[in-house]
Amino acid sequence: MKRWLVLILVALMVFVVSCQSQDPAPEKPAEDPAAEAPAETPEEPAEEPAEEPAEEPAGDKTEIVFAVQEDSTKALEEVVKAFNEKSEKYSVKTTIMTNDSGQMYDQLLNSLSSKSGEYDVISMDVVWAGTFASAGYLEPMDELMMNNGWTPASFNKGSMDSGKYSGKHYALPYFPDLGFLYIRKDIVSEEDVAKLQSGDYSYADLLEMAKNYKGEMDTKFGYVYQSKQYEGLTVNINEFSNNWQDVAGGLEMMKAFMDEGVVPEDITNYTEGETLTAFIGGESVFARNWPYMNGVIQAGDQVVQSDQVAFAPLPNGGSVGGWLLGINANSEKMEGAQEFVAFLAGPEGQKINAVEGSYLPGFNELLEDSDVLAANKLVSDEGFKLALQKTIARPVVADYAKVSDAIQLNTHNFLTGGAELDAAAEAINEALK
Amino acid sequence: MNFRKRLDDSTPYLLILPVVIFLFVFAILPIAQSLRFAFYDYQLNDQRKNDLYSNPSYNLRLHDETIKYLHFYLDSEAVSVEKEETTQAIAALKEKLTSYDEEVKQLVPSPQMQPVVEVSEEVLEKIEAGKQELVKELNQLYALEDAFTLEEDIHAVAGGFDESVVQPNFTPTENFEEMLQDRRVRSTMRFTLIFTFISVFLELILGIALAMIMNQAIKGRGLIRTTSLIPWAIPTSVAAMMWGYLYDGSAGIVAHLFSSIGLLSKPTDLLLKSGSTLWAIVAADVWKTTPYMALLLLAGLQTIPDTLYESSSLDGANKWEQFRHITLPLLKPSIFVALLFRTLDAFRVFDLIYVLTGGGPGGSTESISIYAYKIMFGQTRFGYGSAIVLTMAIVVGIITFVYIKSLNVKLMGGDGS
Repeated sequence: MKRWLVLILVALMVFVVSCQSQDPAPEKPAEDPAAEAPAETPEEPAEEPAEEPAEEPAGDKTEIVFAVQEDSTKALEEVVKAFNEKSEKYSVKTTIMTNDSGQMYDQLLNSLSSKSGEYDVISMDVVWAGTFASAGYLEPMDELMMNNGWTPASFNKGSMDSGKYSGKHYALPYFPDLGFLYIRKDIVSEEDVAKLQSGDYSYADLLEMAKNYKGEMDTKFGYVYQSKQYEGLTVNINEFSNNWQDVAGGLEMMKAFMDEGVVPEDITNYTEGETLTAFIGGESVFARNWPYMNGVIQAGDQVVQSDQVAFAPLPNGGSVGGWLLGINANSEKMEGAQEFVAFLAGPEGQKINAVEGSYLPGFNELLEDSDVLAANKLVSDEGFKLALQKTIARPVVADYAKVSDAIQLNTHNFLTGGAELDAAAEAINEALK
Repeated sequence: MNFRKRLDDSTPYLLILPVVIFLFVFAILPIAQSLRFAFYDYQLNDQRKNDLYSNPSYNLRLHDETIKYLHFYLDSEAVSVEKEETTQAIAALKEKLTSYDEEVKQLVPSPQMQPVVEVSEEVLEKIEAGKQELVKELNQLYALEDAFTLEEDIHAVAGGFDESVVQPNFTPTENFEEMLQDRRVRSTMRFTLIFTFISVFLELILGIALAMIMNQAIKGRGLIRTTSLIPWAIPTSVAAMMWGYLYDGSAGIVAHLFSSIGLLSKPTDLLLKSGSTLWAIVAADVWKTTPYMALLLLAGLQTIPDTLYESSSLDGANKWEQFRHITLPLLKPSIFVALLFRTLDAFRVFDLIYVLTGGGPGGSTESISIYAYKIMFGQTRFGYGSAIVLTMAIVVGIITFVYIKSLNVKLMGGDGS
């Protein structure tokens, strides 16, 4: 009797634990998105208003579904409206995804891996392109570019490199992004600002300046950047290590910033959000962040005003970020998807994006466009222009998530005192192979 | 009559049939499926491995794309090269490419236009031979000196032919061998076991104490019982956020308190220094689940008849002796159940740690569930992730077995020998 009970209990427990493993089976396409849907409900309302204007003039046009995160500016709405007015055969419906990029990645992966044509056009974080392309989820873009008379050189180089896998381009830029240095020019001397803006300085120089200027005008920190264990840490160590050329040196330099006390004590918990708060609140002399921070400063109402800020390239160049456009290889409306991508990534769509949303245009010609220059002061800034030329990409590999995870883990482990320098650097170099 | 009797006998089985079917469809099938993954090298980011392939196959979709791209790139090369000789060589290669494509289409017929078609080993060998010839020609072309611009890209694209060949990815032992090599499986497993042991032990001690207090016939007993259940009633992720605020290095009261009495050298260490984070997580977990433990034990306490305590006190037993010789032995089945539930729960810990530290700092608080999640969803290596989960299940089975043996519990009165 007892033996039986033991057996049954053991079986039961094994069963209970197995239940935990959410079944990733792509064989059940209908189930997975449905299961996730309820969790998204708080975000859902945003979807409704976005859909309506697109649907009404649609009439008998074929509908193209565009999966994208919510846009806090009016650019997305405008660009979709412009396309719907222009296109004779197609109309675009936007499906607003969650603003949590990690969750959006899971959601897209679920949909794409089930070979579903649910989304025709997807927007992707630059680092997803390698994985999606290697899995065969994306339709290559070279033919589309040729048909429109474009070459890869027509677009932002960093973005195009991020979407290139095994000799083919799988993505076009939606909006490029890059990291650069924000400077409080009311604190830093003109001479030093000039030096930084020339790009001819090292992290050691920056550390020295951060130490010197810290404390002036009530600043609490010399420099703020992103150092929490997340994707942003991969981005930052990419910059510190000069695109992985000197991993040990980069780690040591990051640690030096912490040991010298020029960064906040909980810098290893900093993301872009904390960086923004610290810099616009006037707490830090220097900051490393993406262009969006300038938008926030320009909007006013902050302790730091835009005439107090200057921009410069980072010592080893800034990482490329931003979003790409891809076409679902299983889309049933391939022609329409291509038409929309060509519109959105091409001069018309990019101009609307740049003018209405102050996004950096991914279509190079627009960098000279007078409307774009008027809408986005950053584009005409000399320091920023130089930063735009000095960009570095993160690795474009099929197993990016695994590589990046190993980089984050070992870097953070070293910074928080859990590992020795040599071991951490070795593990990172190993992961990058 | 015989039929009648048989019907009577089978009625109970008929009645439970819907439940059995339900269990089979919604529990056993998906589990069997995910167990099956554990024996395949199944990962999404490689077109040769992104499904369960038991037989060799050929990826026609990728093949077509590769052919198209080679033509496309060769055309652009033809524009940029300068010598007549090279132009001819390119044209010849394009013809070769077309005939190779036709050959493959004959070898791999796809009447229903499936992208991936099962083929025999012989066919794959023929395809491979044709491919090798093609690559040789390609190399010969690039051996010529001319103004080529796409050499690197063309070679990368030609790699698509290799990726079109799908070998069976049924590798019954590979995932488990990889696990043995994987340092992170060891470190996460060790962390999970340490966490489970410490937190369940503390919860048991505190749970017994709390249950005995709740069992006392004192004033406001209902209030005590209700309030003590609050932590357990809060959703774990909410509780984790709350503790996150308390532990926060710049504004958290707990972190501030600990550093001011000298437990920490600075407040940010609590969540950001390996070592102290384990205790932060244990404390949150103990706070959260002790009431649950106490509730299970309280139910056990209430089944102990008062008469036993009365007669023992007549025999002159003091409180401690009563606790040791009456309460503990009679509480054993309840302790067993409570320990079992909590151990299994703690072993699978995910949400608390995921929200509180995300596995950091530097992966020092990563539980095996979090690692399995990262492998499966972050890295899309479903095969390896399933192997980890299967191993977890086995470990849980072992824990259960050890509990049953060591506590020597009679679960259902009767024989129990």
